[in-house]
Amino acid sequence: MSDIQEAMRSRAKELLESGEVNAVIGWEAGRFENQTTPLITSQAAKTQRLVFNEYCVNNLGKYPRDLTAKGKVAIFARGCESRAIIRLLSDEVIKRENVYIIGIGCPGMRDRTTGELLKKCAECRHGDPVIYDEMLGEPQAKPATQERFAEIQKIEALPRAEREAYFTNAFSKCIRCYACRNVCPCCTCRQCFVDQRREGWLGKQNNIAENRFYGLTRVMHVGDRCIECGECERVCPMDLPLMSLNRKVIYDINNLFGEYETALSLDEPPSALTTYKVDDVEEFM
Amino acid sequence: MSRIGVFICYCGSNIAGTVDVEKVAEVARTLPNVVHAETNKYTCSDPGQAGVKAAIEKYNIDRVVMGTCSPRMHELTWRKLLADTPVNPYMLEVANLREQCSWVHKDKEVGTAKAIDLIKMAVAKVDKLSPLKSTQIPVTKRALVVGGGIAGMQAALDIADAGYQVTVVERETSLGGKMVMLDKTFPTMDCSACICTPKMSEVGSHPNITVKSYAEVESVEGYVGNFDVTIREKAKYIDYNLCTGCGACTTKCPTKVINNFEQGMSARPAIYKMFAQAVPAKPVIDAEHCRKIQENKCGACAKICPTGAIHYDDEDKVTTERYGAIVLTTGYQLIDWKPLYPEYGGGKYPDVITGLQFERLVNASGPTEGHILRPSDGKEPKNVVIIKCVGSRDPHKGVAYCSRACCMYGAKHAHQFLDKVPDGRCFVFYMDVRTPGKGYDEFYMNTLQDGAQYLRGRVSKIYKEGDRLVCLGEDTLTSAQIRIEADMVVLETAMVPAEGVDKLGSMLGVTRDKDLWLTEAHAKLRPVETNTAGVFLAGVAQGPKDIPDTVCQAGAAASKVIGLLNHDHLESNPQISRVNEALCQGDGACVNICPYHAITLVQKQFRENSQKITRTVASVNPGLCQGCGACTVTCRAGAMDLLGYTNESLMREVDALCQW
Amino acid sequence: MSMVETTPGAWEPKIVAFCCHWCTYTGADLAGLNRMNYPANVRVLRIPCSGRMNPQYALDALNKGCDGVLVCGCHPGDCHYSTGNYFARRRMLVFKRLLEYQGLEPERFQVRWISGAEAGKFRDTVTEVVEQVRALGPLHLNHELVLSGMEVE
Repeated sequence: MSDIQEAMRSRAKELLESGEVNAVIGWEAGRFENQTTPLITSQAAKTQRLVFNEYCVNNLGKYPRDLTAKGKVAIFARGCESRAIIRLLSDEVIKRENVYIIGIGCPGMRDRTTGELLKKCAECRHGDPVIYDEMLGEPQAKPATQERFAEIQKIEALPRAEREAYFTNAFSKCIRCYACRNVCPCCTCRQCFVDQRREGWLGKQNNIAENRFYGLTRVMHVGDRCIECGECERVCPMDLPLMSLNRKVIYDINNLFGEYETALSLDEPPSALTTYKVDDVEEFM
Repeated sequence: MSRIGVFICYCGSNIAGTVDVEKVAEVARTLPNVVHAETNKYTCSDPGQAGVKAAIEKYNIDRVVMGTCSPRMHELTWRKLLADTPVNPYMLEVANLREQCSWVHKDKEVGTAKAIDLIKMAVAKVDKLSPLKSTQIPVTKRALVVGGGIAGMQAALDIADAGYQVTVVERETSLGGKMVMLDKTFPTMDCSACICTPKMSEVGSHPNITVKSYAEVESVEGYVGNFDVTIREKAKYIDYNLCTGCGACTTKCPTKVINNFEQGMSARPAIYKMFAQAVPAKPVIDAEHCRKIQENKCGACAKICPTGAIHYDDEDKVTTERYGAIVLTTGYQLIDWKPLYPEYGGGKYPDVITGLQFERLVNASGPTEGHILRPSDGKEPKNVVIIKCVGSRDPHKGVAYCSRACCMYGAKHAHQFLDKVPDGRCFVFYMDVRTPGKGYDEFYMNTLQDGAQYLRGRVSKIYKEGDRLVCLGEDTLTSAQIRIEADMVVLETAMVPAEGVDKLGSMLGVTRDKDLWLTEAHAKLRPVETNTAGVFLAGVAQGPKDIPDTVCQAGAAASKVIGLLNHDHLESNPQISRVNEALCQGDGACVNICPYHAITLVQKQFRENSQKITRTVASVNPGLCQGCGACTVTCRAGAMDLLGYTNESLMREVDALCQW
Repeated sequence: MSMVETTPGAWEPKIVAFCCHWCTYTGADLAGLNRMNYPANVRVLRIPCSGRMNPQYALDALNKGCDGVLVCGCHPGDCHYSTGNYFARRRMLVFKRLLEYQGLEPERFQVRWISGAEAGKFRDTVTEVVEQVRALGPLHLNHELVLSGMEVE
């Protein structure tokens, strides 16, 4: 990994110095041991601060959205970043010519306190970038150690009352900080429905019903386009099982409308919920 | 603050029987922003309507709730009423107190409580509506007919006779379509050319009709009343203003090309007229096969042309013109049976022919001058087998549907063969004989009288033995194995949509069914309309049918077009989608979902954060949008909203309903 | 002045039916024309097309006091706008599963295709949904907020 880190630094420096890109997005060391934080810089000198280790837990893939005014930016991209970028590209949030993707293989990231593989990385099926302009180092081809829908199937098997209790408990903890929304590469609306006061989609009270409205609506908004990076769940300060909601929609779309995994290439078909087949599953007669 | 007026109708005793109307009005007066509520015995009567108008004036009402019968009954009545008042006709919500309340409940207490809730919902919704204006859409008084077969010609003539300009676009070099290839038409046996070619010349010479032959629609923009259609006329290499149609050029051309009009059974030169009575009656050069154009050799035609009409450097002509209405009469082609039916030789036996080939063989102007002769050796066949439903009603190999005309022309072919070859024998393999139509069954019976032998079953194999074709099959009525030594086999093959119709349909927002036939707006009630306003259908483009049905549909489509072009302006429906550009991020989810292709993405300049920026936003074409609202739900940001059914008004309606 | 107030103490289920204008709303009108009877626990909210049905309306209704939601539209293939109910079908299949997954009783959110001629089906569906929801009892979504086991407020 230190080789990659060196390569990242020199490549970032070159790109900035040559003027090919106006900013670079990567990671730098954080304040604490085994902690990193995103680094976004336009200065070639600062590229020496770039790090790459097993604690680069942030998915950088949404940052290009905030940097559209910068022109062309370079981003270090693992599987999750590359899929986030595809998401932004197909949602017309950024332009392909404005993002230079430097691929890096990913061995999976670890929790800085326990040293264990992160849940999102254990579930990850695409550790290596799915698109890139150049690749640093070798792909890691790390297999997922967790079955994609195991968690969903486990919850589905519970009696209804237990499921209700499980999610009621979860929604009761939500503090509506919207960190899940802010980090999500699918959440790219110019104004989120929660902020639309005129429609008044949901109230300001922090109660279970409103929290559930927020949680379920978010799933309906992003589920069909979710890249399964697991960032929402990672950043949730209240440890809500958010991926078990998102993946439920993905699981159902898979079962109902055919095998599907989004944001793996730029020419993917439209989302399953914006298309139809005349002979789709019928259970409403 | 809005000023809401609530008008509650007794409807005689229809509503008042199970709803305490006065109590409902009393509660209505207490609702927020309601400035006036009154009741009336019959609100829809003239005095009732006058009362509403007077109250609107007196209380300065700016929006109205009508607690009456169903909006399906009187919403338009109330809109018309409001049009006569200062209240915008769309600042209206109807509470359905009759069909969905008084008529379905018996208990007056229950009915009254529900009526109050329905009024509360309507008041909450109307409070959030905004005034809407219809716009006037101008109508361009010209029609475009795509396809110059019998359907297209009939539609064009009917529209032109009503006094409107019509352009007919025909892909081939002549009008006539499939009908002009036929020999005789069932059940009356009039010669097809005798009834079709006069129509062709009538179209060709009609002062209101412009024929663009050898041309295709390239793109369509716009909407009802205002379609901007780009048409590409392929280079003909002949100046039709100079050409007299003498035909000298066609005699000098040394090239021989397979003649598609004669179903590949003869050859034509590279400079050619499709057939003798073609309209326009002038030749074109088939550039692909012309030696002058391909190799810069020859040039014989230009040398002999007395008027100097031939220009080898001619180019395609692309024009864009505006039309008010479009009729699609794109017709059909026969299914390519060869790859589907290897058991019939898959095309390797020249004497296994299609019905259309038979039409040319039996036609006096065809390659054999009307003598039925085998393509392989030119001998007269004595034993002929006709197989129906080749490709039709065969979902495994061909298509699932019935091609509708084949039973009749199959009978016609049998009759014609037995007529021309009196000592011949004709065997017809069939699944069913379907002869609904005036004189159709009688025609079939006559064919049986002629001596045609009908065998119920499919032919399972055709193979060659000497110079004969052995057909194996089963007569399923007697369970007998059948073996017939035939001299010629005629396959009555399925009709399938003309090539390119899929592209044309998607250009116009006209849907195709699973077999790619163009879909009508309603199978029973709007059979010649499409879901795109201003686009109509006629003939086989919509599904297989025979000539009389095709002509009927063409007339029907023409009458719809005439009705449309009769208006100087159309009123647009203002209850359509609207984009909030501040919220729209231009990801185009709405574009894919719109059944009317009413939404496009456009680049627009905005001033944001004191900077000028250009970004992509959705744009709704008010002439195309029909107000279904599908786009609104697909837009996560809520940038797309449906006027008259806005998110805000529906949410308040739900909230009001929850308070009951 | 709602029904709950007129019969104090007795709980009555509240159902909202989102009905498309062209088919189900017409079917509901026909039920009236035929003087059919069905429970007064249902309020019809008219939308132009089932494709206009935003899941957020249903969540709002369930949140604010409805005990059940019914979504109705034209039969697939009969949509006035040709494709609206096909999109609705996909969306509602996914949404219904999601609601049930997180604990909602299946009876509380139902989708039915009811044509303009199916007055009897409208009556039967409404009656059935009301009875099913009545059997389940009131929907209490707005539980007190429990934060990591601690009572808040």
